[in-house]
Amino acid sequence: MRISTLGAFTNGLAAIQRIQAALDHAQRQISTGRRILTPADDPIASARSVELRESLSRLEQFNRNATIATNRLAQEEATLASVNDVLQRVRELTLQANNATQSNETRRLIAVEVREQLDFLVQLANQKDGTGSYLFAGNLGDVEPVSSMGSVFTYNGDQGQRLIQIGEGRQVADGDPGSAVFFLIRKGNGVFSTAAGAGNSGTGMLGTGSLVDPTQYDQDLYTIRFLDPMNYEVVDSGGGTVLSGGYQSGDTIAFRGIEVTLTGQPAAGDEFIASPSRFQDVFSTIDAIATAMERSVNDDVSRAAMGNELNGGLIDIDQAIGNILDIRTQVGSRLAAAESQVDANGAYALITQETLAEIEDLDYAEAISRLTLQVSTLEAAQQSFVRTQSLSLFNYL
Amino acid sequence: MPDLLNTSLTGMLAFQRALQVTSHNIANANTPGYSRQVAEFSTRIGSGGGNTYVGGGTQISQIRRMYDSLLGGQLQTATTSQARFSALNDLAGRIDSLLADADTGLNDGLQALFNAVQDVSNDPASIPTRQALLGEADSLVNRFRTIDNRLDELASELNSRLSLAVTDINRLASAIADVNDQIVLTNGSSQPPNDLLDKRDGLVRELAGFISVSTVIQEDGAMNVFIGSGQALVMSGMTQQLDVRGDEFDPTRVSVVFEGTGGATSLDGFLSGGAVGGLLEFRSRMLDPARQSLGQTAVAFAEAFNAQHAAGMDLRGNVGAAMFGVAPPAVLESSDNTGSGSAIAGLADVAALTGADYVLEFDGASYSLTRADTNEVIAMTGSGTPADPFVADGLTIEVAGSPAAGDRFLVRSGQAGAGSIEALISDPQGLALAAPTRSELSIDNIGNATVSPASVVDATDPGLLTTSVIEFTSPTTYSINGTGSFAYNDGDPIVINGSSITISGVPAIGDQFTIEANFGASADNSNGLLLSGLQSKGVLDGGTISINENYSRLVSSVGGTTSQIQAGLDAQDVILANVEDAMRAKSGVNLDEEAARLLRYQQAYQAVAQVVAVTRTLFDTLINATGR
Repeated sequence: MRISTLGAFTNGLAAIQRIQAALDHAQRQISTGRRILTPADDPIASARSVELRESLSRLEQFNRNATIATNRLAQEEATLASVNDVLQRVRELTLQANNATQSNETRRLIAVEVREQLDFLVQLANQKDGTGSYLFAGNLGDVEPVSSMGSVFTYNGDQGQRLIQIGEGRQVADGDPGSAVFFLIRKGNGVFSTAAGAGNSGTGMLGTGSLVDPTQYDQDLYTIRFLDPMNYEVVDSGGGTVLSGGYQSGDTIAFRGIEVTLTGQPAAGDEFIASPSRFQDVFSTIDAIATAMERSVNDDVSRAAMGNELNGGLIDIDQAIGNILDIRTQVGSRLAAAESQVDANGAYALITQETLAEIEDLDYAEAISRLTLQVSTLEAAQQSFVRTQSLSLFNYL
Repeated sequence: MPDLLNTSLTGMLAFQRALQVTSHNIANANTPGYSRQVAEFSTRIGSGGGNTYVGGGTQISQIRRMYDSLLGGQLQTATTSQARFSALNDLAGRIDSLLADADTGLNDGLQALFNAVQDVSNDPASIPTRQALLGEADSLVNRFRTIDNRLDELASELNSRLSLAVTDINRLASAIADVNDQIVLTNGSSQPPNDLLDKRDGLVRELAGFISVSTVIQEDGAMNVFIGSGQALVMSGMTQQLDVRGDEFDPTRVSVVFEGTGGATSLDGFLSGGAVGGLLEFRSRMLDPARQSLGQTAVAFAEAFNAQHAAGMDLRGNVGAAMFGVAPPAVLESSDNTGSGSAIAGLADVAALTGADYVLEFDGASYSLTRADTNEVIAMTGSGTPADPFVADGLTIEVAGSPAAGDRFLVRSGQAGAGSIEALISDPQGLALAAPTRSELSIDNIGNATVSPASVVDATDPGLLTTSVIEFTSPTTYSINGTGSFAYNDGDPIVINGSSITISGVPAIGDQFTIEANFGASADNSNGLLLSGLQSKGVLDGGTISINENYSRLVSSVGGTTSQIQAGLDAQDVILANVEDAMRAKSGVNLDEEAARLLRYQQAYQAVAQVVAVTRTLFDTLINATGR
């Protein structure tokens, strides 16, 4: 084949330039540590790496969210533990006050402590979180959730619960509204509550009662009225007689799917009421207990009245304690969920990072040996170029 | 004796000429496009005398240009293809890195925005966090606009490149015509005008770098050059000029026209090769789709975000205002329109939006819509009035006035989006992160029924923020605001005034549930969570493609095309190099070869000169013999 001088020169130069371009590519790969320098180098891999980066960023965000949720839940849990302590203390004090050995004076001293505990509980309910929002106001973060007017306690927050995104498709509540924690607590046994008539003149004391047959119970208000100390009748809210019978202390009176136990000796005209459980806030419960303790007990009748009230209060306190326990259990399971999600996110992030590294990262061993090869190829090309270009017949003319 | 002298003289002259040709070759060893020339010797016919026939010496019959016209044609084609890929590659690489770069691309901006949405959902009452979200919204908008600006710049750069290329084409056409004239003048001489031919071939090759050409050599040696679909650019010594003109719809979009006798004809559809073909191809294959897809992404993003934002309540107790603004689809009127019709377009459905350009044409009786890139006819519903606009591919089009038959409008469904997107909210309190309504169960309820949080099903319901009370009139029926009696089924959603709640459990008579405006809920993040859900929600292409995916599609399609173009350019480089190599093998000067020829002709010249010396000796001998 015929070689033209210009052709030999151009081809030699083009070869050198090609190697130089490859060398530059390898050098940039090595200096950046990236296999793909522009998306056109590997369009599919770079589209994939964009997705993976996005997913990594989302996982980081989820973990940040989970940390915030965890902090808030931990704060809530600490507060709820204090709430629980308060309720337990009130319960102890109630039991103590209900003891026949207490005098009016000692009971009033106990009442003073109960009121102190009540104040503390209101403070706990009105606690703020780290960012200055109220912990138990639902979504009305700027509104003080609990206010009191005498012995009437009002909830000013709402019933909303905020969710935090802690994983792809996974959300966890970062708190509970004060309504659920302090206010929406059923009185009595949760289905119905019992109370002695305010004007009772006997010493009859009513137990909590229990639900025997839910299909029979119709949520009506029933009154057990004593016609004389030995006989009673049960009337519903419409005045119809449901049941009547003879009474002995310790008798269980059963009607319409519920039963209650009466002890002591009621007088004629005494009334005992079993009404459907209403919500009663824990503050009112404690306030009622304190008020009962502050009563002066002079005889068996007033002792029975106080006993009825303290017994009722005790049942309500137990409901509140049960409610707090429920909520703490939920908080605990949310904390566990957040923690396990953070672990899951971390594991997924690790896999994603590995995949990303496989796609994007440079195999240094391969790149450096390629670079070395290209350098020696370039040197060889340059040397041969100079050698062949210096060959000319004119040198010998 | 004189014959002998004459014969040697022919040799001396011929070798002198041959030495000249060789030195011309040596001198032009590095001239691009030069074809080496070879002196061809032939014997001079001598005169017959008597019984003998004596030759008359030598002569240069022709100085031949070593040129293969077949290879020349191949070189022209290869140059055209290579120039096309080279022009494509220059611009494609820029669009590719613009879209995919972390600092300029959308992905990081979208990600940052949605991360900020999640941050603000974690702490919706915090003004600094809200401010941060607004900042991210601003910077996302800026990214959209920056990319769109850069694409705009590319478009105007493309315009000036086209117009420079057209200037070059016209210059080359004139130069070819000039050379044609000179070549025709030499017509009739036995000696071909080698260097003029080289010059013309060089000019044609340069022209082939701009545009795909075909050539025909006339009998008189002139070359006619044709472009496009057979338009004559050069006819012997005459040229037709090319020009650039604004598009009929968009004066900022330049197209190449042929200034023929019947007026200007657009050549855009016919110029497929060379730099001009590459530029036009880049525009239709990469730039236009990129701008349209980016615009479509911007429109879909703004619409989806606004729709969700409007289903929330801000810190001031107002339903969320529009957070992003985008311009409606643009309608451009053809400069050829003769009627007085007009058209305006709007957005009907983001999920059906394609982002493409459409041509709306009036045929004298009715309108038809054609997709500009595929020429597909798109069926429209509606009658085009404001009350009943045409609807097609997610667009609404209203027409007015009295257009003439053949009047055309260009509807750009997406392109305006990315350049016009703006963030409309600057007040951090104006971010609607809370749900607009909330549900409450009454504290006096006796039954154990619970109520779900209220969710919005129709944010545009005028009664959205009015309070509704659901009161159970029996465990299985309820009234709304004291009227009506509706059957209660445990767990069924109840929709009132655009809000939906679900009551589950067993309610008692008299139990109440309330839906009310969610005023004051500074800590509520319900709508914030829904906003952050938009990141992976399908909003485009019938609700299957998310904003992110749509942009990633664009990036990977541009990346794929770019890498195809790079591969194509690499292949064309090799093909061109091979043809050039073959051409050089045929036509290129080899200095060693010329040195050898130099030596050979020099020796031949010396030999002929020796013949003159011999002649002289012969002559002397004769004189001496007869001199006495």
